[in-house]
Amino acid sequence: MSPIDSPIAHYPVNDFGPLMKGLVIGGVGIVHVFLAQFAIGGGMLMWYFERLGQRGLPDARTFVDGYFKVLVLVSFVVGALTGVAMWFTTIQVGARTIGLMIDEFHWLWATEWVWFAVEITAGYAFYRAGRRLGGRARLRLLALYALASWMSLFWINGILAWQLTPGRWLDGGGMWAGFFNPSFLPSLLFRTAVSTTLGALAACIVINTMDLPRDRRAQLIRRASRFAAPIAVMPVLALWFAAVLPGDSRSWLLGGSMAMTMFVGVAAGASLLVGGYVIAGLIVQRLYINGATATLLLGLAFGATAAGEFVREGARKPYTVRGVLYSTSIRPDEVAALRRTGATAADPYPLRERYPGEQLARGARVERALCDACHTMRGANALVELTRTWADDQLRLNLAKLQRTKGFMPPFAGNAEDVEALVQLLRWERDDRPAGFAAPPASPETLAQIARWLDEAGTAAAGEPR
Amino acid sequence: MMWPFDASTESLWLALYLVSFALHAVLVSYVAAGTVYALVAALRRSADPIAERTRDWLPFLLGAGITAGIGPLLFLQLLYQRRFYTANLLMGPRWGAVVPALILGFYALYLAKASEHRRRLALGAGAACFGFVAWSWTELHQVMLDDAGWRAMYAAGERFHLDAAVLPRLAIWAGAMLALFATVAAWPASAAERRRLAALALTGLIICGATSAIALAIRRDFDPAHGWTYLLGIAAIAAALGWGWTAHRPDGPGLSVTTAATTAALLAGAVVREAPRLALIEHGRATAVGSGGLPVFVVTLAVGAAAIAWVVRTVRGAAE
Repeated sequence: MSPIDSPIAHYPVNDFGPLMKGLVIGGVGIVHVFLAQFAIGGGMLMWYFERLGQRGLPDARTFVDGYFKVLVLVSFVVGALTGVAMWFTTIQVGARTIGLMIDEFHWLWATEWVWFAVEITAGYAFYRAGRRLGGRARLRLLALYALASWMSLFWINGILAWQLTPGRWLDGGGMWAGFFNPSFLPSLLFRTAVSTTLGALAACIVINTMDLPRDRRAQLIRRASRFAAPIAVMPVLALWFAAVLPGDSRSWLLGGSMAMTMFVGVAAGASLLVGGYVIAGLIVQRLYINGATATLLLGLAFGATAAGEFVREGARKPYTVRGVLYSTSIRPDEVAALRRTGATAADPYPLRERYPGEQLARGARVERALCDACHTMRGANALVELTRTWADDQLRLNLAKLQRTKGFMPPFAGNAEDVEALVQLLRWERDDRPAGFAAPPASPETLAQIARWLDEAGTAAAGEPR
Repeated sequence: MMWPFDASTESLWLALYLVSFALHAVLVSYVAAGTVYALVAALRRSADPIAERTRDWLPFLLGAGITAGIGPLLFLQLLYQRRFYTANLLMGPRWGAVVPALILGFYALYLAKASEHRRRLALGAGAACFGFVAWSWTELHQVMLDDAGWRAMYAAGERFHLDAAVLPRLAIWAGAMLALFATVAAWPASAAERRRLAALALTGLIICGATSAIALAIRRDFDPAHGWTYLLGIAAIAAALGWGWTAHRPDGPGLSVTTAATTAALLAGAVVREAPRLALIEHGRATAVGSGGLPVFVVTLAVGAAAIAWVVRTVRGAAE
């Protein structure tokens, strides 16, 4: 059978060595989100400063022209290309997930593309011809740039929010029910507030590079810091976002999973530091901020963005699209069939490595199909370390009842032989791949016990899809 | 309806794919061929107004080219999703390297524009980056078609697909890029510059024609593509004649003729390029076919086109 003909889309799996795939996509995604939000906030901020300049604020126009150069050089280049990189890395990590997103939302993605094209055109037009344009044209061009970049956020935000909270889409409510899902609005407003804050902090850095007396820079900084004021409502928006999350996801963020809780803490702590400085220091006390401090605050904001994106990604577990597709790229309704046929019966791709014995080879194929999306063998989130101290029967039980072992794991999508093969592979890896390793043949009793555990666990996820 | 189009949703994706691909091809051709042109001019240390204008526009046109490329990338995922994703995964990190290559190329173009001292180095780096990207896309195209070879490629951990068709395809693209670059660059050019660009375009068209003829003679697999191949040939000849006319009378209507003919050749070429894999379009994906939002896209496209037209008019007004 050709890979194209397989009923379940089996794709070749790449091994990223000690790097967990989530780290790869997370790394690219965080840079992209940070730069894209900077571009949105920067666009709004420039419109605001242009307006101030036309109403008589000295140096505002010089600032706008200087700031735009930074925006073009950083955001238009790295920001735009990391957007393309996001597509490519998502294919590497979860081809079936991105395929489903494209299938469901392609017209909205195409709509987002049109706004992005308007954003780039308006931005470059201002960059090239801004100095020659009259006040009204400059203001309109910047307004168009800011609107287009925010509209880009509007559309992509709905698609990303759908992954976590598909809402009525799960009941057949259609594409729009999926787009305007429960976390759409809090997420959109939260990202808008983040955007204005990033734009303001970057402005403070640029202002410090301007060849102006300190009092004139201070005047610009005071205006720019007002633009970061929406950070004050971010706690409310974050609580709103948490409130619409599915119950199990929320529980992991609030202590159920210590790693996730720590990421929430990092995001909240960094945001608090930035927000405290902006509100108390810059807006209330009207303090001056130098370039070094502004850079430090922007660095903290990057840390908050990074932690926040990890929280958003992690909260979806065990799904990549809640209720629709597990992180293993297997649909819930396919699990029962895979329990009968085995996880890798239809996988057309051979192993790249040789294993001593058929059972270990089967274990390696099972690991590739069911574990590799989120785990490595020995690097980040290493299977060997997670299971090192477990006894053999404990390992069999925990794998067979995977969604009961950890609520954020998907159900094991294979049969008893798959579980046993994976157990033997993990033992072999734990013992540093001994040359003479001979996996003991699984007794019928052992396989029957594993099958009972699989049946007891069922094929559904631990939490409700909503 | 005219082949290859019918009333299906897949056909609409195909039409949008071909049109957006053609637009993307114009922009990236300007960038790739323009970078090489500017590099040659820099190496020759000659004062060349074409190279100067090209250098000035390259960063913007690369940005526009990448932005325009998102459209065909989207529709490609609807038409050939499993093939495209599989090819991406098989080529793995070596395919992903196109992104850092483009980032490097982007900054190289800015550097070439800003620094005379580092111009040759920057343009050389840019040309190498864009050459790598063109080669990677051509390889990816071939991997998508070669499903019989996927298992072996995966098992061997092979990241390169040294197919015999890669070089001829690249040569045809190189020729087409020269012709497309010359067509765009000729509009703001003076009479003498247009003559030089005519020579460049004719060289490009000859490369395309000769490579296609050799490939056909070797493979003996001529596909008329329901007449589109003949249209491509006629349009290319018309473009060549238009360039001859332009060289003879630079201020005459030759450039309009050649631009129209090149546009026709580009669109016909996009269909001819697609013809061999049309049978591989993944029909019947219910989620994709049944997805809503088309009216929103149509309205946004109209609004976006109007907004871009307004921006162009505003900027041109300022220039005048």
